Amino acid sequence: MRNVAIVGAGITKFGVREASWKDLVQEAGKAAFKDVPNLDKKEVDSLIVGAAQPERWAYQTHVAPLVAELLGLRPTRVVARTEVACASGQAAIRYAWLAIATGLSDIAFVIGVEKMTSKNMAISQTSMINVANREFDGPSGMTAPPFFAMVAQRHMHDYGTTREQMAVVREKNSTYGSYNPYAQFTKRFSVDAVINSKVVAPPLCLFDCCGMTDGAAAVVLAAEEIAKKLTDTPVWIIGGTQCVFAADTVNQMGNLSEWPALRRAAKELYNMLGIGPRDIDFAELHDCFTISEIMEYEELGFCEKGEGGKFVEEGRSYIGGDVAVNPSGGLLSFGHPLGATGVRQAWEVFNQFRGSVPKERYVGSNARIAITHNLSGLASLHHIMAYSIEKRKEIKLGG
Amino acid sequence: MVKSIRIPATIPFPPLLDLWEQQDEKGPDATRIYQFYKNLAEGRFTTTKCKDCGKLLYPPVAVCSECLSENLEWVDIPKVGEVYAFTEVRAGAPLQFQDTVPFIIAIVRFGDYPKNGIQVSGIMFDLSSEEVKIGTKVEWEPLEILGPGEMRRYWYCFKKA
Repeated sequence: MRNVAIVGAGITKFGVREASWKDLVQEAGKAAFKDVPNLDKKEVDSLIVGAAQPERWAYQTHVAPLVAELLGLRPTRVVARTEVACASGQAAIRYAWLAIATGLSDIAFVIGVEKMTSKNMAISQTSMINVANREFDGPSGMTAPPFFAMVAQRHMHDYGTTREQMAVVREKNSTYGSYNPYAQFTKRFSVDAVINSKVVAPPLCLFDCCGMTDGAAAVVLAAEEIAKKLTDTPVWIIGGTQCVFAADTVNQMGNLSEWPALRRAAKELYNMLGIGPRDIDFAELHDCFTISEIMEYEELGFCEKGEGGKFVEEGRSYIGGDVAVNPSGGLLSFGHPLGATGVRQAWEVFNQFRGSVPKERYVGSNARIAITHNLSGLASLHHIMAYSIEKRKEIKLGG
Repeated sequence: MVKSIRIPATIPFPPLLDLWEQQDEKGPDATRIYQFYKNLAEGRFTTTKCKDCGKLLYPPVAVCSECLSENLEWVDIPKVGEVYAFTEVRAGAPLQFQDTVPFIIAIVRFGDYPKNGIQVSGIMFDLSSEEVKIGTKVEWEPLEILGPGEMRRYWYCFKKA
């Protein structure tokens, strides 16, 4: 197996954009290529596009060849699109990583993109139902906000998590997001502002929820010997896992306040790397709702089960705490263009490791290991990737 | 004269974009779990159980997801269950529920879940969130989905027992 590194990254401004799906692809693609001036894009031999619902939101299928056309690429090794709803972007990185690690590909271009806003947002919301079993939970109106509201209700009921603790997550992430000009929301929200925002689905208020957003992000991945020629600051992909326990309908989910598939994916990642949760310096976690980040601390082993609310309240997930979580501002600041998010998180990890972020949200030069996490659907599937400033001596897949 | 194409003022809503299956017994939109919808139309809320491995399967399926047997039987879901979780949708509802907002979504456990029972989501109409609690006893009842046009389909919802 070969070492694989991120050698360049670029994103669009995230938000309600007056730009089409194709415009977003070109903006992020241009930004990423500009970030690797030594790369001749003719050398890109693979292209993977993370896109969740271009069929519904941009009325376009067969998107990987279209992206090749828009960016002037002629990839000959892997040309594909990945779709796993909210984790589509991370999945694209995962398979590009494996393609390079195994020797099939040398340089891969990965782009995640989603155009979610439209003149009629109810139509966009209706498409979100398709990430669950549409035939059985769709008719209950089971979009993400009510589902995660029930997750929050059960977590409060089962573990005593408080309304304020969830609001602290947004206060923290909006503070970091306020130093990130690419984010959709750059305003800071206090705990009081979150609690007093409009109720969407109790206990969740508007500021507990990430936005439905337009955006794209791209990274260039390369094999070790090539990476060193393209950048002085390669960021190495050192591992990645994913886990699903058959569960796209609520009947298969058991207790809503537990995500055993994430616990399992984390365990496999730590085994793969021979590390534990305390070795993680910073993490870009899937804070689609404030409660999600709290549950992720627990299932990733940053704290005991049920202690996630206390963990953020005590400042342990802030920069300078046990582990800096979402120094980018997270999905809560960026919004969540489904296909783009996972790649946007990798863009953040790359910039943190090379120190090109404002000091107010810089995790520091001592950071060695970072993870990104995405849940997808009704939190049934979980992806984790691990990155480091140091390459691995021996690449091992499997625990 | 510039050539032109005129698009009709309204385009019919494609039925598969709404939230309910076509529920057809025959034809290209037919489903092998048609019996589920037929039972609902007759006032029964049912699901499949595997006669070979004994697994209670919800949603109903044509092939047992556990042992892949097709030797399945239709069993009735108990009438009364308990609220496991609930919320009230006040904003951001999908297209079909724009006029129904606010409404309650509940996840209700029927029977001895997860051993020999199921956990199902459903809507509760005409109730405020103060009137429901975790543990509230509810029962399912049939719900008719009318339209588009003369189309009549069937679903279920919950009410307080």
